[in-house]
Amino acid sequence: MEKWLPNPDPDAIHVVDHVTFFRLSRADHHYADDPDAVWWSVLVEVEGISIDQFQDRVAAFADDLLIPAAYDAADRRAVHGRQPIAIYARAPLIRHINDRRSEVGVATVLLGASAPDRFLDRDAQPRELPEVIVDDDAVLQAIIDDGIGIAHELFRSSATATRIHHARIFEAEPLADGKTSVGRGLDRADIDGLLQNCAFDDMLDEDLFYARSGQVDFGKGVFSTVALRRSHGTHIMALAAGEPMSDAAQKHPIICAALPSRIVNDTTGLEMVPVLYLAFHILVKQARRFRTRAGAPVPVVFNFSYGNTGGPHDGTGIFARLFDHYFGKDAETEQKAWLTLPAGNANLERLHAVSDERTEVDGTTTLDLTVLPDDRTPTHLQIWLPVSPEDEQPNIATISVRTPFGMDEGTIVTQPGQHAALVNKAGEQIAWLAYQYIGGQTQRGLVTLSSNPTANLLETSDLGPAGQWTVTIRRNAGASKEPIHLWVRRDETLPGQTSGGRQAFFDNLHYKRFDRYGAPLPVDPRDTTCPVQRAGTLSGFACDPAPIVVAACTEQEAVLSDYSAAGPLAPSPQGPQPPRDGPDLAARGDDSFVRRGVISAGSRSGSWVRLAGTSVASPQVARLAASAIGDAAGSGREWSRDAVARDPFPLKDHPSKTRTGAGAVRTPNRMTPD
Amino acid sequence: MSIGPESSYSSYSSYSSYSSYSSYSSYGVPNGLNPMLTEALITNRDGIVGTHIDHIADVAPGVPDSPHNLPRLALQVRAAIFQAELGSSVDITVDSDAGLPVATLWRRTSERDGRARKVSFHEMVEMTGPTTDQLATQLKHVAGYARIRPDRAAEITTQVGVPTAFFASIGFMDPARTPHTIELIYTALNFSSLLIQRTKYALAVKRPIEFSPQVQPMIETPTHGSLPSGHATEAFLIGRLLWKLLIESKAPQYNDRAYWGAMLMRQASRIATNRTVAGVHFPIDSVAGAMLGLTLADHLHAMCRGGTWTSAMFDAPKFDPEEDFDWHKLYNAEGDDMRRKAQSDRGTWAKTRQHKERGDDTPAPALSWLWTKALAEWRDLGDDCDN
Repeated sequence: MEKWLPNPDPDAIHVVDHVTFFRLSRADHHYADDPDAVWWSVLVEVEGISIDQFQDRVAAFADDLLIPAAYDAADRRAVHGRQPIAIYARAPLIRHINDRRSEVGVATVLLGASAPDRFLDRDAQPRELPEVIVDDDAVLQAIIDDGIGIAHELFRSSATATRIHHARIFEAEPLADGKTSVGRGLDRADIDGLLQNCAFDDMLDEDLFYARSGQVDFGKGVFSTVALRRSHGTHIMALAAGEPMSDAAQKHPIICAALPSRIVNDTTGLEMVPVLYLAFHILVKQARRFRTRAGAPVPVVFNFSYGNTGGPHDGTGIFARLFDHYFGKDAETEQKAWLTLPAGNANLERLHAVSDERTEVDGTTTLDLTVLPDDRTPTHLQIWLPVSPEDEQPNIATISVRTPFGMDEGTIVTQPGQHAALVNKAGEQIAWLAYQYIGGQTQRGLVTLSSNPTANLLETSDLGPAGQWTVTIRRNAGASKEPIHLWVRRDETLPGQTSGGRQAFFDNLHYKRFDRYGAPLPVDPRDTTCPVQRAGTLSGFACDPAPIVVAACTEQEAVLSDYSAAGPLAPSPQGPQPPRDGPDLAARGDDSFVRRGVISAGSRSGSWVRLAGTSVASPQVARLAASAIGDAAGSGREWSRDAVARDPFPLKDHPSKTRTGAGAVRTPNRMTPD
Repeated sequence: MSIGPESSYSSYSSYSSYSSYSSYSSYGVPNGLNPMLTEALITNRDGIVGTHIDHIADVAPGVPDSPHNLPRLALQVRAAIFQAELGSSVDITVDSDAGLPVATLWRRTSERDGRARKVSFHEMVEMTGPTTDQLATQLKHVAGYARIRPDRAAEITTQVGVPTAFFASIGFMDPARTPHTIELIYTALNFSSLLIQRTKYALAVKRPIEFSPQVQPMIETPTHGSLPSGHATEAFLIGRLLWKLLIESKAPQYNDRAYWGAMLMRQASRIATNRTVAGVHFPIDSVAGAMLGLTLADHLHAMCRGGTWTSAMFDAPKFDPEEDFDWHKLYNAEGDDMRRKAQSDRGTWAKTRQHKERGDDTPAPALSWLWTKALAEWRDLGDDCDN
């Protein structure tokens, strides 16, 4: 029988990020290699120092650090108040910077995915990026996704000429040319060369193209979903930027980054933000190369069709700061940039719960958390506390966790240094409950619960228990009455991936899933007291004030799609009003209840497939935005409201503003076969 | 017609429309083993036969050894005749080189001088088996390809048998429209199956499943050897034969339009690769199979029409086992041309040579008939539609 140990580690108070701590402290068999030899993507926020200064401060760990070549000399010299940097590092260095006593100048640490050595080139150097001159009315489209079929005809202007000016393929091994620290960078000429070399008898051999582009190498275990009939990135990029082949199509240049599909194969947790930051940084650098003939910067529309659960949901999360860092008022750029993001699909997934006056009974909220058996990835839970200043962190609540067959509870109070470890009979640690404070703009306490996988083919002694866990939040008398939000982090394995993650979820008995006809309820019942809620499920990436956030609707029935995630958000420390109510607008995510999803490009030229979700709604809005950004005077969000007003698609179910924002917009149905 | 590689030719008869030929017998016309009908025919004759006719009119003799008989023969009978012609056109010997088995497929020709025969053999395909180390390296490809099994499951399971439908989706084949083309394809497959099995037996290359317990193929692994891949041999044989028909048809949409040939090759390659996806073949098996199939297509064509034929050498140990199967290294659809040489850092792993027709190298009339009939099915119907 396992048991909880209260505060077993006196050094825990010095830990910057407890999830990072947990993920790096598992037993050896949880890692594919010697744990200290594994490279990880890491997002660190340095405070008041430059990248160069950071590098100097950790010089003792030089062999464990890789600062990507995408950061050029100017980037490395720049000093900001807080500056996020995506690096690659090995465990000894990460442990060092995740310990406050090291005093490196790092405010936050976010551990991303592990990256096999062969995908990294530690000798790569920054390179000059020459200007790209395009027509005065050109608009650049930038896509970050995974599995992007860059050879697809919809991204070409002719049989052997691409419209993609740069593709960063994180899925591929770097070339030996020393240009990229991670993945492979293909410029337009590189892609054109591949197209020419892989064309036989007037036909492109796309299997061969992706073998030579490095995206797919079955012999080396390099995999991209472009090997499958359906690939997310191809579908999304065609919706956003696909055009029939013609010379005119050159007016629509594209840059893209394909994130590694192996990212979701990580068996210590699922965190893509570090590599996303790097991808974004690379594409921003590329975007800034573009000039019109008149010498002006070229407007750019980014689309990133991913969502996540977790984060503070008040517009201060680390992803929220990404766009602001590059295009906010302090970014010193005249380039006009909009970003479209999906609202997320978590509306019905029971990954979000709220402890507040409505859901608490005698100041206590109890949550049933179902952790599935045969889950080969850990389960992570976040509990976000109300805003409080760092120097006066109040003890807001007592948080207890009981395992399915546990005799005792692990209990902590929300105070610095508080933690509890779950150990099994053999004394092996299998779960970790801890409090930490997230400073910066967020200024909230955060409690994280992390549990080992419930299955492992190699070793079974330190498995996390599967079944119904219980999480109890007892609000302390006199503490803030502001809501406490709980999020189960995503660990479901996506189609085509192999990690074997199974999604844990809240399973409170009085959560009403269906209406009286048996249909899924898309909104919480009025006056519900269930802590598990659909309201507030908006993707953690989509809470920033800047992006255009897109919900999904079902066209034929003219209703908002059930899965489409919703606001409201939590107020931020900067003001009583949240940065947004929910999505800005909705667009087609499904053709009908029966014809789920929308049709767009399959992985191979000439093929068409369906994908559903807010992921496919977002790029359709990106396409509209690309046609408008050149002339628009205001922000992207302002434009999105005007777009709905100009061409509304009325929804019969009259969803609330927190689900649709300004309403649904008609999107051109151009990327479907005749 | 139920023998063949990959234990698949049982589906010969399952090519449903084709086997509907046998529904002839449902009319009870020839050869029905129907006791009631037999009884009826006896009583019927008794009823109407009448007095013996003494004076039989002249009966012209049959036409010996002539294709004119062929249209009046049952399919199975024709198939036997074609195999008799083809079977005697080849021979296989086996020896070894540096400890590795070498199978040699010989092309046999004979000069006829009355009843005398002068038989000559020419090397047509020389195939050296791979090393175990190469296969162990190739296993990485098999493991990688396993990831796309769910995507290919429908194709893989429907291609266990003869994948005629996958070629009929490119070249417009139908039993009503192209019966002789289908007959030609099955003639080729019937012929090749014997050679495939004999070559596999000679080289005795183990299957992926014998290398690792993690292969876990998604279909049954056939009991015969892995290299050359029967599916690759058959698919490239079918693809190239069809492409030759299209070229010779002179129909404007086909003639010299290399994309038809390339598409047939893409199909053949997909079918071959699907066997690796399924976990029953190494990519190098497909390389060997494609080479054999492409070479046999030329041989068959020469047996039907005369003209050039190709000899090929596949030296497996020289193939870089890190490499995947890529048919472009072997063949160019434009010009229907096998490439002369393919190399790796280890040396030349494939070589081909084209040979001109010789005096003793005449086509078999029965096979010529079949080719001519098949070819007519691809010609456009125009002013010369009597052709």
